[in-house]
This record gives sequence, C-alpha cells and structure tokens, in this order.
Amino acid sequence: MANILELKNLHTSFFTHQGEVKAVRGLSYELNQGEILGIVGESGSGKSVSAMSIIGLVDEPGRIVKGSVLFDGRELVGLPKKELENIRGKEISMIFQDPMTSLNPVFRIGSQITEVIMRHTEMKKSEATEKAIQLLKLVGIPEPEDRIRNYPHQFSGGMRQRAMIAMAISCDPKLLIADEPTTALDVTIQAQILELMRDLNKKLNTAVILITHDLGVVAETCDKVIVMYGGMVMEKASVLELFDNPQHPYTRGLKQSVPKDVTGERKRLEPIAGTPPDLLKPPPGCPFSPRCPHTMEICLKQAAPLYKISPTQSASCWLHHPEAPDGLNFIKTDAVETEVEA
Amino acid sequence: MANQDFEFIGSEKKLDKEQIRPSLKYWEDVWRRLKKNKLAMIGLFGILVIVLIAIFGPFLTGHTYYEQETDYINIPPIIDIYQIDEDTYVYLAKTYYLILVTENGKLIERIPDIAVDQVNKQRTYDYNGEVITVDFSYKSSTDPEYKNVDFSITYKGTEIFDKYKTTVNKTYLFGSDKLGRDVLTRVFYGARISLTVALVASIVNLLIGVTYGAISGLEGGRLDNVMMRIVDIINSIPLLLYVILLMVWLNNRGLWTIILTLGSVYWVGMARLVRGQVLSLKNQEFVLAARMLGVPKSQIITRHLVPNAMGSIIVTMTMMIPTAVFTESFLSFIGLGVSAPQASWGTLASDALGGLQFYPYQLFFPAFAIALTMLAFNFLGDGLRSALDPRLRRG
Amino acid sequence: MTNYYVKRVLSALLTLFLIATITFFMMHALPGGPFTRERTLPEAVEAALNAKYHLDDPLLVQYGDYMWGILRFDFGPSFRHIGRTVEDLIIQGFPISARIGLLSVIFILICGIPLGIISALKQNRAADYIVMFMATLGVTIPVFVIATVFLYVFSLVLDWVPSFGLNSPGAYIGPVVALSGYSLSFVARLTRSSMLEVLSQDYIRTARANGIPEWKVLYKHALKNALIPVITYVGPMIAAVLTGSFVVEKIFAINGIGRYFVDSVGTRDYTMIMGVTIFYAAFYIIMVLLVDVAYSFIDPRIRLGKRMED
Repeated sequence: MANILELKNLHTSFFTHQGEVKAVRGLSYELNQGEILGIVGESGSGKSVSAMSIIGLVDEPGRIVKGSVLFDGRELVGLPKKELENIRGKEISMIFQDPMTSLNPVFRIGSQITEVIMRHTEMKKSEATEKAIQLLKLVGIPEPEDRIRNYPHQFSGGMRQRAMIAMAISCDPKLLIADEPTTALDVTIQAQILELMRDLNKKLNTAVILITHDLGVVAETCDKVIVMYGGMVMEKASVLELFDNPQHPYTRGLKQSVPKDVTGERKRLEPIAGTPPDLLKPPPGCPFSPRCPHTMEICLKQAAPLYKISPTQSASCWLHHPEAPDGLNFIKTDAVETEVEA
Repeated sequence: MANQDFEFIGSEKKLDKEQIRPSLKYWEDVWRRLKKNKLAMIGLFGILVIVLIAIFGPFLTGHTYYEQETDYINIPPIIDIYQIDEDTYVYLAKTYYLILVTENGKLIERIPDIAVDQVNKQRTYDYNGEVITVDFSYKSSTDPEYKNVDFSITYKGTEIFDKYKTTVNKTYLFGSDKLGRDVLTRVFYGARISLTVALVASIVNLLIGVTYGAISGLEGGRLDNVMMRIVDIINSIPLLLYVILLMVWLNNRGLWTIILTLGSVYWVGMARLVRGQVLSLKNQEFVLAARMLGVPKSQIITRHLVPNAMGSIIVTMTMMIPTAVFTESFLSFIGLGVSAPQASWGTLASDALGGLQFYPYQLFFPAFAIALTMLAFNFLGDGLRSALDPRLRRG
Repeated sequence: MTNYYVKRVLSALLTLFLIATITFFMMHALPGGPFTRERTLPEAVEAALNAKYHLDDPLLVQYGDYMWGILRFDFGPSFRHIGRTVEDLIIQGFPISARIGLLSVIFILICGIPLGIISALKQNRAADYIVMFMATLGVTIPVFVIATVFLYVFSLVLDWVPSFGLNSPGAYIGPVVALSGYSLSFVARLTRSSMLEVLSQDYIRTARANGIPEWKVLYKHALKNALIPVITYVGPMIAAVLTGSFVVEKIFAINGIGRYFVDSVGTRDYTMIMGVTIFYAAFYIIMVLLVDVAYSFIDPRIRLGKRMED
C-alpha cells in the first residue's frame, strides 16, 4: 500500500484585524491508498481548516504558514494556483457539510457534474452526460436519466449529498476528503451515505479522509483516527485502539460524552467541562489543559510531544512521560514521534 | 524538567486559563459598533449640526427670511469691489445696480441711476452729486489691450479697469435672491421646513406602518392576506405618482397637507418590514408564553413585538427621513410645495432654476443643503444597519 | 408555472383598473374643479369636453365612458392645449422620453454591473472605496442636484454640451447622466453586495474544490446568482427613471412626456394629468411584469416548484 498523502508539521493561520488566529498548529500524519482516515474534533479544533489546506482552498486572510503536504510524492504547499486547480476535482476531491447549499441553485445537476468531467478529461458533452448518468446510478439515485435535468432544489438533502459524491468521484480521484458529510442529514440518511462511502472506497480503492465530530461515525467507517483539539493533534490511533484503549484524556472525555458507549449500554452523559480555546491567543502548553481532569504544572508551560504508544498509536500528553504519576492507565514511554512546534 | 512539573494542579488555576469574552448588553454593543464606524459618526454629527441650525439659525443671521430689499437683488456671496476714491468702494451687480460698499464687502447703499446710453454703452450714476460712469464698450471691443476687460468705472476723472479685490459679501453671506432676501437665512429657515416635514411625515409613516404591519403579521391568515394585497396594490406604481396626484387633488399648499400626503403613502415600506419581523418573532417562545398568560394582543404588540423589532424600525426610520426630504424637495421643484414666502429647500431650488446661468449660487446652496442632509442621514442609516446586523455580532 | 404568470397578469390588470378608477374619481371630486357645476372654462374647452364626456350625464355614465375610452387609448381633450387631445400629446412626448430612458437603462447596466463586480473583487482596497464612495454620493444626492450641477458645469461654464433641447448627440449626455445617477449607483452597490454574498456561498466553494478555474467560478457560477437581485431591481429602477424624467426634462428643457406632466400639474390640465398618470402607471406595471417574467427564467426556483423525493 503506497503512501498517498503525507502531512508534515502543517501550520495554518488566519491573519485578521485582531491578530493571527492559529487554526492549525503542527499537524502531521500519513495516509495510504485505500485507507479511510477519520479526523475527529470539536468546532474550532482545526480539522476543517487542515483539510482545506491540503487542497489549497484556504482563502484570505488565511494561509499555510509552515509545513508540507506531500500528495503522491508531490509537494502541494506553494504550488501555483493553476496546478492546484488541476489537481482539485481530479486527483483530490472534497465534499462538504451542507448539501442544501453546496450545489449551485441556478444550474442543473447534470450540467454541474458534466462541467467537472469536461474540465478534467477530454470527454465531449455527450460522453460526459453518459458518465454523469452512470455516476448518479452508482450513488443510488433512481431514474438518473430524468434526474440529471433537475435543479438542486428539486432534490432532497440526502439526494443532494449523493449528487455531491457523484461529482466528487466523477474523475476517479485518488483521495476523497469528506468534511462532515452527514452532519446535516437525518440519521437514517446518514447511515446510507456512510455505507455508500464505504462501498466506493472498496470498489474504487479511493483513500478517504472523513472529518467529523461524531465518534459513532468514526467507529463505523474508519480504519484509523486522528483526534484534534485547539489546532493540534491529541491522539492518533487505529480505530480499534482508539476505542479499546484511548491514551489521551481528551479522547477519554469524548468517549464518556456519547449517550451510548460501544457496548450499547446506556449511561449518564458526562460532558467535558469548559469551552474551546481562543485561537487568537492560544495558551502556551497543551491546548486541552484548562479542561483536563489530570492537568499538571508542566501542561500549562509546554505542549507535550507525541508519545508513541504502539506502531499505530500516539498521544500528545505529558502523562506518558516516565516521571508522570501512575495509576491512570496512561502507558509510559520514552519513544517520541515528532517534536511539536508551537 | 523539575519534579514539581508533574504535580497535579487545582481547578482554580485552570479556570484562570479559560478565556471568556466579556458580554455586553444589546444596545451597548450596537452603540460600540456604531461608534467605530467613522462615516456613521460623521453622519450623526452632521445631523446634529443641521438640526441646531434649523432651530437657531434663522435668529442668528441678522436677517429675516421674508424681508425684501429691492436695492439688493441678486447679489452673489462673492463680489468684486472697485475702489473709486480713497475711502469709497463700489460693486457693480449683474443687474447693473451700482452698490456702495465698505472695504470689507459690507453693503452700504445703492447708488441711484442717472441714465443709460445704449449707443455708447455707458451708464451713469449719481453719487452725492458726482457722476460715476460705467463704460461697457470694452466688452465688445476688439482691441487686444482690452481683451479681458468687460467695463471700466470713471469717477472724478479717473478711469479704473482693475478691481480692488474680491471679497466675501459680508451683508449676505450666501448672497441675495431675486427679491433681495438673504439666501443664508432662507436656507436656514428652509432647513426648518424641510426637516419638520420630513420628521413629522416619517413619524406618521412610522405609526401607521408599525401598527398596520404588526396587526397584519400577528393576525396572519385572511386578514394578513388582504392587508398585504392592499399593500401590494399600493406598491404597484411609483409612490411619487400618488403623492403628486394627492397634492393636485388636495389643491392646498400648506405644510400639513404635504406632511399628511407623504405620511399617507410611504408607510407601506415600514408595514412590510414590521410584518416580516413580526412573522419571525411571533413563533418564538416568549410570544407564545405571553399569549398563554392571556396578555391582550395590543400589549403583545407594544410590549413584546415592537421592542424586538426596534432595530430594523430605527434603521428604516433613519432612511425614511432623507426620502421625505427628497420627496418634499421634488414636489417643490415641480411646483407643488409650500407657498411663498415660506421656503423649503425645494422651493428655493425651484425658484432659482431660471437664474441658473447668472446666479448659480441661489440654486446651489439649497441644493447642497439637501444633498448634505441626505448624505448625513444615509451614512447614519448605513452605519446603524451594519451595527444592528446580528450576523456581525461576532465582535 | 403558467399559474404564476396568469396570476401576475391578472394582478397587473386589476391594479391598472383600480388606478384608472381612483384617478377618475379624484379628478371628478375636486371641489370647484372643472368637472363640477362651478367650472369656468374657456368656451372651446367646455364645448370639447361636453361633446366628449357629456358633462351633465350622471357620474357613473361618465366613468363608463372614460374607462371605455381608455381601452381605446382615448384620453380626451387637453384642458390647456386647446384643440389637442391628451393622447396626441402623449404620442408626441413619449418617444423623446423613451429615447433618453432607454439610453439611461443601457448606461446604468453597462456601467453599474461591472463597477459592482470590480468593487466586490477588490473588496476593501482602493478601487472598492472609490467606487463605493461615488456610488454613495449617487444614491444620496437628489436627481435635480446632479442635473443642475451638470448643467451648470458642463453646459453653462464649460460649454461642452448644449443647455437645452435634444438637437445633437451631445445633448443627450446631460439628461442621461442625471437620469442614471441614482440607479447606476444603486446597481453598483447592489451588484457588489450581491456578489460578495454569493462568493461566500458554499456552492462557490464546491466549484473551486472541483478545480473549476477561478475566472469561470466568478463569471459563470457566481455572476448568474449575483445578478438575480439586480434583475429584481430593474422593475423599481424603471420607476426611478420615469419619475426622474420629470425633473430632468424640466431642467434640460426637453419636451418629453415628463415635461408635459409637470406642466400639466402646474397648469391644472386635469385631463392631461389623468391621462398621463394612467399611461405612466400602465407602462410601469407592464415593465415590472416583463421583468418578473425575465426573472423567473433566470432563477429556476421560481419557475419550477419544489419537488421533494428521496
């Protein structure tokens, strides 16, 4: 399995009137062909911005400050606009959260899809239209030959999201980024869309980055997970490791706060106290420290490095330092993945 | 790393780290945002100045708005004066009146004519027994030496070609109009008329519009449908046409007629807006609660709905006033405004149109007054709209 | 879909009917006015009126006569222009006003929309501030101020254009500029804010994410949506141009229908006032109807109802 995407120490900030808002502060991960990666976090954790950074969609007043994004061995940071435009929609596709507003209301569904196809391939209009019909069928839209002449407002939410997916995979991308694709949908539709994405991943071997705040979605669909908070990585793990043995207080907090745990037992909701950090003046040290039940002195002063718990699991928390107190089931180790730069 | 680095810290220390933004009351927040908007503040300041001028101005100029001074008709605010003797200065008006002035530009008196000689293009005036001759032949002369000379003034044997200086007309700072009335005072007075009409008409619009819109929105159903149909029909043709028709029909040029005419037409905009606001508010819980508690409809409107719609209402009001100023001026301009000697800015402009070529200042002062007033209100209104927009509340 | 159009047309006809009726009764209700017993009119007019309207007939009969006349584009004899009918004068004056009006509309759209787009694309930079400042002036400074300043500066002082009439191409500049001032500025502001709003929409993000080149994103995806509010403005814009013509024609001494209307107001030429009012109203309502139809073609949400299926 080849390494399709590699992020190294990505920093993205927004330079506003009031100062620099540091949305992403040192994000690194790898993704292999055909894998499904989940990125979990609250609003403001930087997960969406990091995805937009990959394909260069971060607009004024934001920009990538530092770091590298290697796609298929090619550096995307600093690539000229024209080249990024060639990659977007063709090799890397992205779908977004709200299908109700993500399609242009004054153009027909069919023409929006064929536009993308003709943009990236040599196909003529008639061929592209054929392909569009096939795609709609693939994503499960009934009577696609009629449907391509519809306008977005004539589709329901679930259908629109399917149409978006059809548009995204129309040119056989190697990587599909889905930013909260099911958040705005009903739970039943949610399940269908996720199943569709899993299907496509299997059939087309597309790598998928699934951004969400919903642990349930992650459990169902992803191979591996990254947990983000305050613009930084808190924990990286395979999906089994994350649910079996989370090694970061934040991840544990997230687990506690779902109404039903993995075993299906109902329990009391335990929210994580406090509010997300202000990214304008991020506190030094670990961004989660104000809300962490196990904060130590050092947590306020310096952010922890990513301690390697296993070949596939790492956590950024001082509790893994050999000198940290015992008894909380945080595996101690000296192995460190990268130096986190603030 | 020291060992105490790995000690747990208490929750008090952690709460310190939480960053909470100070919260502000709604109107404080609005005012704060408005203050930051420089244009809006300029507008607000301008309005205050104009209002003060309207109230106090006419008293302070030393003239009235109606007294006519036939000797001093059509004298511009900036005049060229000529020195004909050691302490004697004169000004020659376009009307060919010769005026005795001070060195500073203050008008003293008119020097009576003696005769006009059309053939030799000369006019003579009698100054205390002495003759002053003004020679216009230079205007049509082809002699290159006199290319830029329109006339010369001869007094006691000396012929003068060059002006002494150009000075501000100290008697009539904005000049005088065709009946010798002080334009400055009339413009100040016009402010009173125009602003009063605009303000009162806007208030009438406000009252009618808010009531109509609130009732329509709150009741809903058929009443709402009918009421809105009526509004649609009224809105189907340019409101200005209605106003003109009404003014012709009422055939009366009094202030109240104009005010009521304006008030009877422009309320539709406010009604639409208030109805929209009410529609979105009436399904919110606090209205439901009020109804449950048996609060009568009239109180629901006055105590709950209107205060919450206040922001939009204020913005609309602020924009209604310049519209009213404009409409009133427009009416006056086409001859349907207040009657003489009362003057609104519109009538001043209309009266001055005929003399535009020679006496442009007579039109420009009232016209700029209208323009500046409308600018001020528009800046303020724009600023208010931005300040009240909840979408921008992210501070 | 036809339902929508039919409703609009019927609504328009109803409004027109109401306007005509109201106008008629207003003019006839004028105390001491020409249609009452106490009228004092020049003999010729009295004779013409009587012949036409049978002024001693009961009011409703007169009303019926008048309405029937309107349908045949017959508005009766003018009160002040003895011997001429109102529709004569309308036919004489309208083409002149229409020419200026049409030129103005074209000018407004050709200048206003691109200026708005530029302003939106260069938001908060120099070009934006300049354009928006000029536009603010344009919407707040009344049409007669713009007209008179223009007349004074370019005609009386600089003598670049003639100061009255429409006898040369240059003579059109002043009236068109004055007439367009307000609406051009409004369109520029509207286009700008609409464009900014559209550019922040999700579907623009989608288009970019799909690799559509930026110029296409702007001029195909964004513009079509951004122009929707602008098109809806064209209806009221026609009103602004219509009513602006009163003032502009007066100032530039142009013998268009606006000038006739203003004169007839001044001279209390009642049949003229009635006729022109109804004509204006009809014209405006028809124009708005046409714009609504055009609008429904651009925005498919209006044309086709919602059909939700999953």
